[in-house]
This record gives sequence, C-alpha cells and structure tokens, in this order.
Amino acid sequence: MNPILKVERLSKHFLLHMRGVRVPSCDGVNLEVHSGRLTALTGPTGSGKSSVLKCIYRTYLPSAGQILFRNGNEDIVDMASASEHTVLELRRRDIAFVTQFLHCLPRKSALDVVAAPLYDQGVSQKRGRDCAAELLSRLSVPERLWDLPPATFSGGEKQRVNLARGLIARPRLLLLDEPTASLDPLTSERVVQLINHMKSEGMAMLAIFHHPELVAKLADNVIKLASPSDGNLAPEASL
Amino acid sequence: MKKILEIRGLSKVHGHKCPLCCDFTGPKHDTNICRHCNSIVAIHDISLDLYEGEILGIMGESGSGKSSIVKTIFFDEIPTDGDALFFDNNEQYSLFTINAARQRWLRNHRFGMVYQSPHLGLNFSISAGGNIAERLLMSDLFHYGDIRKRALELLSRTEVPSERMDQSPGKFSGGMQQRVQIAKALATRPPLLLLDEVTSGLDLSVQARILDLILEIQRDLGTAMIVVTHDLGVVRLLTGRTIVLKNGRIVEHGLTDQVLEDPQDAYTQQLVASAL
Repeated sequence: MNPILKVERLSKHFLLHMRGVRVPSCDGVNLEVHSGRLTALTGPTGSGKSSVLKCIYRTYLPSAGQILFRNGNEDIVDMASASEHTVLELRRRDIAFVTQFLHCLPRKSALDVVAAPLYDQGVSQKRGRDCAAELLSRLSVPERLWDLPPATFSGGEKQRVNLARGLIARPRLLLLDEPTASLDPLTSERVVQLINHMKSEGMAMLAIFHHPELVAKLADNVIKLASPSDGNLAPEASL
Repeated sequence: MKKILEIRGLSKVHGHKCPLCCDFTGPKHDTNICRHCNSIVAIHDISLDLYEGEILGIMGESGSGKSSIVKTIFFDEIPTDGDALFFDNNEQYSLFTINAARQRWLRNHRFGMVYQSPHLGLNFSISAGGNIAERLLMSDLFHYGDIRKRALELLSRTEVPSERMDQSPGKFSGGMQQRVQIAKALATRPPLLLLDEVTSGLDLSVQARILDLILEIQRDLGTAMIVVTHDLGVVRLLTGRTIVLKNGRIVEHGLTDQVLEDPQDAYTQQLVASAL
C-alpha cells in the first residue's frame, strides 16, 4: 500500500544570524506513515523529534530533503516546497497537528475552540458544537467546563481540548507531539482508546510519546532518532 | 481559492526622488532616507497576493512602511510606482489607473478601512449611528428606517449597546470607538477589509474582544483582510500568512507560524527574539 506520507533524507538546522551559528536539529531522517497506522518517533531529548513534526506541518522550513504527502486526490505534494496557500489548504482539510500547548483566543468556549476546524470548513455552529461535545465527553472532559474558555483549565484538560480539536475534522494525517504528557493513567487510557478508534477509521498518525508503554501500546512501527552528535539515523525497528 | 488582490512593485517615495533613492536605502543601508536627495522611501518594490477570505499580516517596527501599503490600497496615498489589481466578482480593477470617481466608488463600496486612530475613521461631530448611516447612504439604502435598522444591526454585531447609537463616538471608550469603526467599515459588506494597528493602545481584555470580533467577521462573512500590526501576538492569533517589512522592503514572507517559529531573515529573528 502507498504511504500517505513519505519523508526522505529530511534535515533541519537553524541558522542564527545574531550569533553567527548553525544549530543542527535533525539529519537525514527517512520515514513513512500509512493510513490506519501509527508511526512513533522516539529518541533522546534534542534528537529533533518535534522538529520533524514541525517540518512536516511546515512550521519549520526544512533545510534539505523531501516531505511527500499524498492528498485526497492522490496527488503527491512536497510539503518542503509547496506554496503557502497549498499548505494552508492541506492544513484545513488533511493534516492536523496536536502540540503540547494550546493557543487560542481568550474569550472562546471550549466547545467553540474544539469545533473551530469544522467552522473553517463551513460547518454550522450547532453541528460543530455537537461534534465537539461528543469528543470532549469521550475524553472525559467534565461537561461543566464546556462553555468556559480553556485558558483557565488545568494542563491535562487543556491537552484534551487540544487533542479533540485535532481530531474533530477527521484529518487524514494527524501529527501528535506528546498528547498525553500531563494526563493521569485513567485519562491517558481514554486517549489511547480514542486514538485506536481513529486508527481503525483509517487516520494515519505520526506521534511522539512521553511514555515508552504508550509506544508499545499504540505504535505499529517505530522510528528511532539519534542525537545529532551521534551521527546517523538509527535503523528503523518494527514492533 | 480565488485571488482578490494582486500587488506588484508598489513603491511610495516622499520627496523629489532621485535615481539613487532606491539603491541607497533599505535594510542593507538600515535607513529609508536617501542621503543624496533626502527623500523618504516609505515602501519600495512591494509585491503581494491576497486570496478570498484570508487574513494576511504585515508586521515590522514603526516607520517600516506597514501603513503606507494599506493607505495606497485605500487611495489615502498615491503610489510613486507599481500596479494593483482588485478582482471583484467578474470585474477586474487596476487600482492606480482607474479614474478618481471609480476609485471613490471602490473605497466607499468594496473596501473597508479601520484606522489606528478613531479620529481618522470616524466623524466625531455626528452620532455613532450617523457615522454608519453616512456610509450606508453611499450604497443602495436611502430609506431612513432601513438605514437606522441596518446601522443598529451592525452596531449590535460589533457589541456596541443600542442605547448609545445616538451618542457621538467622542464619548465612547477607545475599544468601543474601534468597534464603531469596524461596524462602519462593514456597512457596505466589503470583500476587502484593511486594518491598521486596530488594537494598539487598547488594554488586553479590550484587545481580545476586538480580535475575537475580527475572526468572527472572517468566519461569518468570508471577508479578506490585511492586518497591519507591530504586535506579534496579534499576528499569531489572526493571520495565516505574514510579510515582514524593514525600511520599506519585504525582508521575509511565509506562513505565520513559520515566520514566528523559524524566521529565516536576520531582522525577523531579531524581532521575534526581542518579543518573546
């Protein structure tokens, strides 16, 4: 089966003009992500795991390599060189990114924050909120919080709001950066169930997990990144 | 997605303009004043595209030429050079070559502008409702009752209490004055809205309300906007794409999160580093 995402020889370094230095982040990364499967990125702190995700989402401009994404029309788009509008369109329809941090407007209710990607696609507020409510309840976010702005929520609650927002529009590719970092074991289990459910519906995922046991539970294959100083990328291992 | 605005090679020079103006100003020389003729090169060779329903950010420090771009688009200033095409339904307008009457028509019907200073956008000698009525009269509404009803709708959408409709905006708080300006700009349902530092100088809670309103307008009406600001937080919350200006030149452009998290140009790196 063709992968939905194929990353080839991806490298990222930062050129800091003020200091006149080049900071390497990741080097020569190769990976594939398939529909209905979860690929986990592992490696020590500083090995560039988050940078790989950010390059794929084009929050970072890759320094070298290709990021080939297969869109809904089966066309291949190189995220490294695609136009800004192409990337924005893919972000609206196909690719979502769940980070550890939630950026949102201060006055919006949790329901509206979660439903925002649906509003962007022209879904009505009523339907958007219904979908948001369903996801929030599946993630055990207490109903009394739904109408409040997430700025006041606890870390774990914010994280689930963030995850719900990433999932709601059913992207074809979901990038997850430590989505369970501040969750208790029970809530973490709910997240695992939901991720498994989305996988069974065909969503492709590329994820970084804080806990090795989550990798064992959820990942279909694992890509291990070495720290940049260690030289080359460690070989791919299959579970 | 359809293109709504295409700007190519836009320049504005205040002063005599000598042949050396453009070569001896800009980021490389760290000035926009020509040392040969003392002309001020406000902007030089600006090209940008804007698509339907998108919000484009223009950021940079004071004097970098941000406002000059929107002012030339809104015909507040006459450019020295450059072309701008505005695509409206099936029509296409070359903004700087059409006659003054046509420019006025576009300004009154198809463009909206919200200035940093409410004094520029509002007439303080008439009521808030009157300010909106003034713009509505230029469109297709002539009946007093209809105009009043529509003005009320616009003010309520921008959260200005209806009982204050007949007061002068001079009596309003800064945040409310900005919301009246937005209501006025929206009166003719323009497909293009230009926002020049609309939240500068307002306190944070008031800022949040206005940013919220701007996003609602984009979502509900699909209005394309150019947002000029020096506030990176505003850029992050509102815009999908951003251009960075220094000394009247574009030094970087890209997706907003990329410009803020992985700036490529030395100046942008400095700007982002000093803000966070």
